[in-house]
Amino acid sequence: MDSVPDVVERISLKIEEKGVSVSREKVAGKLNLLISDFGIPLEEAERVVTNELIREYNLSPSSGGGGQVQQREIKEVQPGEWVTIEGKVVSVTEPPSPSIAQTGIIADSSGAIPFVIWAKANAPLLEERSWYRLEAAVVDEYRGVPNVKIHSGTTIVPLDDDRALFPSVVPISDLKPGVGSIRAKFIEEWEPRHERMRQTGILGDESGTIKFVLWNNGEREKLTLNSVYTIYYSSIEEFNGRLSLNLNTGMYIPEEGVDLEVARGTHEASGVIAHLGPGSGLIKRCPVESCNKALSRYNECPIHDIQKEFRWDLRITGVIDNGEEATNVLIQRDVAEALSKMTLEDAISVAENNPLGYDDVLDRMKHAVTGRYVQCRGNDMGGTILVRDCSRAAFDATRHTALLNRAAASPEGDRK
Amino acid sequence: MTETDRQARFRREPARRVFAAELRESRLQFKDGNDEKSPSFVLLPTGDRSNRIFLVGKMTQKDKKGDQNVFFTIRVEDTTGTFFVNAGSYQDEAMRQIRQIEPGGYVAVVGKPTVRTTPDGSVFVSVRAESVTPVDEETFRIWTLDTAEQTLGRLDRFGETEDSVKAREFYTTDTRKYRQIVYDALVRIQP
Repeated sequence: MDSVPDVVERISLKIEEKGVSVSREKVAGKLNLLISDFGIPLEEAERVVTNELIREYNLSPSSGGGGQVQQREIKEVQPGEWVTIEGKVVSVTEPPSPSIAQTGIIADSSGAIPFVIWAKANAPLLEERSWYRLEAAVVDEYRGVPNVKIHSGTTIVPLDDDRALFPSVVPISDLKPGVGSIRAKFIEEWEPRHERMRQTGILGDESGTIKFVLWNNGEREKLTLNSVYTIYYSSIEEFNGRLSLNLNTGMYIPEEGVDLEVARGTHEASGVIAHLGPGSGLIKRCPVESCNKALSRYNECPIHDIQKEFRWDLRITGVIDNGEEATNVLIQRDVAEALSKMTLEDAISVAENNPLGYDDVLDRMKHAVTGRYVQCRGNDMGGTILVRDCSRAAFDATRHTALLNRAAASPEGDRK
Repeated sequence: MTETDRQARFRREPARRVFAAELRESRLQFKDGNDEKSPSFVLLPTGDRSNRIFLVGKMTQKDKKGDQNVFFTIRVEDTTGTFFVNAGSYQDEAMRQIRQIEPGGYVAVVGKPTVRTTPDGSVFVSVRAESVTPVDEETFRIWTLDTAEQTLGRLDRFGETEDSVKAREFYTTDTRKYRQIVYDALVRIQP
């Protein structure tokens, strides 16, 4: 957090840059009035005071006079700054709200940043693949991602030259919220959870994996499973601490006849199986090709209505708890069979020959699994670990000795 | 950006590992938030809040109580003391599991700690079970290691976290006493 004196200094410098000297007391006076008498947040107060002084001294907020905002590299701009940048519009997207005229991504050789043109800015819309100079735009932050706001005071200068622009492709593990370019393989496709989603799944490279989403708006092609793509200028968003790549921005180019080694299965959950969800046990799956959704007890598929035929399956949707954190896990048939010591055939026979059917299978599974220490490994699919292998933990005598020593050592004594 | 993605997902409270000797000393129960549905926590003397706990021990007693509203109480012993665990009609899964288990063996319990003041003014800590399953002795020994480790972890952070500062004020916790409890628990599971 900035302190009030920092802000006073920053406002004063900004005014002085424009060739007018201003007293620190005057700035501090205006600022304190807003903060203490009106309870306006410091950030907001800084903007108000700056604009007020600019008006008072008849200065131009943008490039006028001697106070031109210095041109910056996109990589370096920070939220809260007024900047002038030059870059190429690498993508434009439909604005999410009527108060926004256009959104997109602008890039220079140092990096890329989303831009937003407010409807009330009355600014011309930018054209994809063209170069522009944006003078006196404001860098803001939305959901942890910096973006450039084009407002009524921003000057947009189209540039004629088409300079070469090479996006820097980064390893997936280096991606941060914002805009990123990667080279990755489409390794896992998931059922879209929402009608507006066209495709979702996991992309991977040598460094790690990331979830991606392709939304239904726009005429974009779906990815082909197991193909390698170079993806330029996608927006990287963060939800619940997890990154997600939005394929509707930027562009992607498939590479023919190549493969990519993907680092996967790096996720581990160890602890106690603390809970088995209602989706655990014996389930029926939709037989329609490539559907495979779990059917309800009345054999309804959420997409394909009632199915007479179905495929049996056994799974665990549960929670592994290590005392600090509860992790959702989805355990597939072979691992679920081994953990619960019940085969799919056993489960089917219990369900068919027992008045309590499915509930009995689930009860037996809970009886065999809940409260046991396990170590599971698998892929992270947006907060749930899809478990590939799982083993029961064993008593570790070395750990026992180490803990005895740790308990015996008094920390007060160690410090002497 | 879907609505489902935008909503903060429900986060399940982890099950803290605590020895019976420590849970017995817990007295302070508080709510985090003013909502009726806000989670309720018991502050452990070693300085962590627990909405849920996981315990393993020998089931030594089982009693069926109540006439119209039947509920079960069981006693579960670790090497430091006794946990009082109960399950009523709102914990029908745990109740069904308890019905099928006879005392004498080890059980694993996931449940919510609750602090009650009895009519005579004494304070009593019990555990409302979510799940009770029979386990083997090895699970009990692993749980003892796990609980020792997590209790030592809380003691190492004691005085450095907000909850442990609160615990020090409320319980005037003697950290050496809890180190001793951990040590004794570990000694008693020596092969």
